Amino acid sequence: MLVLLSVSFVFAPQALTQAPPRHGIGAIRGRVELRRVATAAERRPGVAELGSPRGRDLPDLRRSVVYLESAPRGAFEPNEGGRAVMDQRNETFAPHVLAISIGTTVDFPNSDMFYHNVFSLSKTQRFDLGRYAAGHSRSVRFDRPGIVRVFCEIHSHMNAFILVFSHPFFALTDAEGRYRIENVPAGTYNVVAWNEGTWSDPKSVGVTGGGIAEQDFSLR
Amino acid sequence: MTVWRAAAFVACLGSVWPAGAQTLPSEPIALAGGRVTIGGDVSATYGSPDPGYFDYTDYSHSALRLLRIDVSAALNAGEHVTLLGEVRTENLGKFRPYAAYVRIRPWTKRNIDVNVGRVPPTFGAFARRTYANDNPLIGYPLAYQYLTTLRPDAVPGDAAELLQKRSTGWLVRYRYGNPALDGGVPLVSAFRWDTGVQVHAGTEAVRATAAVTAGTVANPLFRDDNSGRQIAARLELRPVAGLIVGGSGARGPFVGETAARGAVGDGHDREFTQTAWGGDVEYSRGYYLLRYEGIVSDWRMPIVRPPELTLPLRAVSTSVEGRYKILPGLYAAARVDHLAFSHITGTDAQGTLPWDAPVTRIEIGGGISVQRNLVLKLSVQRNTRNGGRLEPRETLGAAQLLFWF
Repeated sequence: MLVLLSVSFVFAPQALTQAPPRHGIGAIRGRVELRRVATAAERRPGVAELGSPRGRDLPDLRRSVVYLESAPRGAFEPNEGGRAVMDQRNETFAPHVLAISIGTTVDFPNSDMFYHNVFSLSKTQRFDLGRYAAGHSRSVRFDRPGIVRVFCEIHSHMNAFILVFSHPFFALTDAEGRYRIENVPAGTYNVVAWNEGTWSDPKSVGVTGGGIAEQDFSLR
Repeated sequence: MTVWRAAAFVACLGSVWPAGAQTLPSEPIALAGGRVTIGGDVSATYGSPDPGYFDYTDYSHSALRLLRIDVSAALNAGEHVTLLGEVRTENLGKFRPYAAYVRIRPWTKRNIDVNVGRVPPTFGAFARRTYANDNPLIGYPLAYQYLTTLRPDAVPGDAAELLQKRSTGWLVRYRYGNPALDGGVPLVSAFRWDTGVQVHAGTEAVRATAAVTAGTVANPLFRDDNSGRQIAARLELRPVAGLIVGGSGARGPFVGETAARGAVGDGHDREFTQTAWGGDVEYSRGYYLLRYEGIVSDWRMPIVRPPELTLPLRAVSTSVEGRYKILPGLYAAARVDHLAFSHITGTDAQGTLPWDAPVTRIEIGGGISVQRNLVLKLSVQRNTRNGGRLEPRETLGAAQLLFWF
């Protein structure tokens, strides 16, 4: 329940009531420190398997997403035609976290020599792409903001997150935890960091025209 | 096990799971930096009464009225050795070891494994996916569940005695061997694993497995009860993604030493064998999955006196199963099963009949995912038995809630 409440809070459209942008645009940058990096889901014990499981890649769980909890009016215009890719490779979704705007279509190619079956039962978007082989791809267009947990029906340890935003003011951290949100209209915003289902408390950040606001986060 | 012990078990799971999690675990519990993983399968099934004993897995358990809790664990003890085990309880009875073996990978770069202990079944396809999560329906294929009238620890004196017992495999007694009433065996047991040594090797396209074990496919054992071992082998081909073609064979002494001695004297128990052959095909693509499995099992039983058994006593099972996903989290499934038996001749009054009553089952159902690892299944099955003393026809409904992590 905690997770659901957090999701609705983060993506709720109360942001529409925010004051319109003032003069100029700026940026927000900073770093997300993970005091403890989440561990990747393990395979189930596989007692009924006749042999050892094949090797697999481990997902990168250090990537966080930083976003404006409330965004300026006019920032919610529908985004048409954006595209992103979440690959399935060595029994791992790559990338493990995708942050997109609504209206984006995500391709799910299968780069393994065996079947995968991507699906999600998230309230934000339910889908099941069925089983398809190497070299094939299926896609899903995301039209509602929220968090979508993605799984493979065949390989239960495969999972990923897609964060769908109704505005463009979000950024994925790099390997060192750094982020930068560009083109933010001047104003004061609540900024939140997210990592593997954990949210930071909102931080109030003031952005001035042409300026770069600094905000660091610490999670877990 | 009492109810409070079950509650303590669930509470224990909750305490192991990270404190931040607000829901039941959805992934295996990992300890010691991932070297130890613990998974679980819980299924609660409630269905119609089954006076015809079509779905009984032994004298007291029906597959349609069963609370089953499996806890499995793997301990990775380095690149070469993994310890695997599973305990299971049914209807809150004692937790019993179901699997306990060591998996040795002699060469880390080569896909060859040696399993020693109570190992996964070599024979057939369904035997390794008996978990509720792997079974799209609630019932089991007849070959793996339906109790024939043969027992390894008690044998009939003649064909007439065997024909008298047709359809009573859930609880049967014979003249020789163990005099107590007990259940017969299915063609292949889905409820116990055999003990021995197993070697598995393969590539993405071809996989081969061979094993030497104590029991037989119908009667897996922890300790051997006769003087012979079973040899089993399986070859699996995966020529294209989604297609699996498998062939299996197994042969081993079936009748226990005590029963064989009681029927025909010492030194013959190795002669009374079960030989089984199986073929299976699975094809999946998009939203559908189709499976076929055929099994032929021959038993050689002691011949004590006329009217003699016509050997081998053969049983042939055919099973076709399909699953189609209708919507995300919602699927429909169906299975058609038939179990046939070779003919033997009893008394003049009995004439020539299949040695057990042939059975047909059609099961239709589906499942809906409440969440990824919490599924509600519903099914209806129509069972028909051609002969015997029990109910010849039954329509049974059942619901099952399953949870896994």
